[in-house]
Amino acid sequence: MPRPALRTRSLRRILKKIPGGAYIIHYSKRKPSVAKCARCKKPLKGVARERPSKLRKIAATIKKPSRPYGGNLCSKCAKEVLKETKLKR
Amino acid sequence: MNMFEIGRICLKTAGREAGKYCVIVKSMNDKFVLITGPKAATKVKRRRCNKEHLEPLVEKINIHSDASDTEILKVFEHEKIYDKLSIEKPDTVAIKAMKEEKAKKKSLVQTRKPRLRGGKSAAAKPQERKHKEPEKPKEKAPEKKAEKKVAKKHKPEKAKKATKPKHKKESKPAKKKAKVKKK
Repeated sequence: MPRPALRTRSLRRILKKIPGGAYIIHYSKRKPSVAKCARCKKPLKGVARERPSKLRKIAATIKKPSRPYGGNLCSKCAKEVLKETKLKR
Repeated sequence: MNMFEIGRICLKTAGREAGKYCVIVKSMNDKFVLITGPKAATKVKRRRCNKEHLEPLVEKINIHSDASDTEILKVFEHEKIYDKLSIEKPDTVAIKAMKEEKAKKKSLVQTRKPRLRGGKSAAAKPQERKHKEPEKPKEKAPEKKAEKKVAKKHKPEKAKKATKPKHKKESKPAKKKAKVKKK
């Protein structure tokens, strides 16, 4: 029986094989959920999902798309918003 | 009614340059079109673009197909397009950078230095070819060499472009020797 702190489902269970041939359980924290578009609530593409300690090590250009409204709106919503704001003038 | 005609000002809706204005310079296909900012004015590079990624506007300017950036900038000033689109005029710094880029591209295309064997030390010394031919066949050879040179001038030039630059200087004396011996 694991100790009470390790019984929570917010931890992920990973099976690992040890040199003797047996399997043991390791516990690790879960990744954050997928980012969503601020307008249509659909999942965004090209946005990295990692815990803060790993996210800091990744380059800034890889973490989100390099277009206006990159990690905020999906490509469809960004087109519509740009047309609305720029064509009104 | 073709909205995507030469001189039409558009708004880019997709890509890294989304939200910026550009001018259509040439039509390439049913789907693709050549555009520029120009870069000094709107920071859009000269490249091809899909028609679906452009939103045409009411404004249009008079330019001929494949116009250069400097010509388009003059037309912009003449027709007061900076006020209509509420863009800032390009600084002298931006125009200088544009001219420097043009000059760089031209200089890269014209000068293609031949690669030298031996690295930097060889570049310092002037390279000399070794002529190992004896004197006797030289008297006969120049007459026929002149004839053959005129006929075969084009061939070695073509061979230069095809073969790698490292083997340039080895091939030349070998060819001359072969001609001399056959006679």
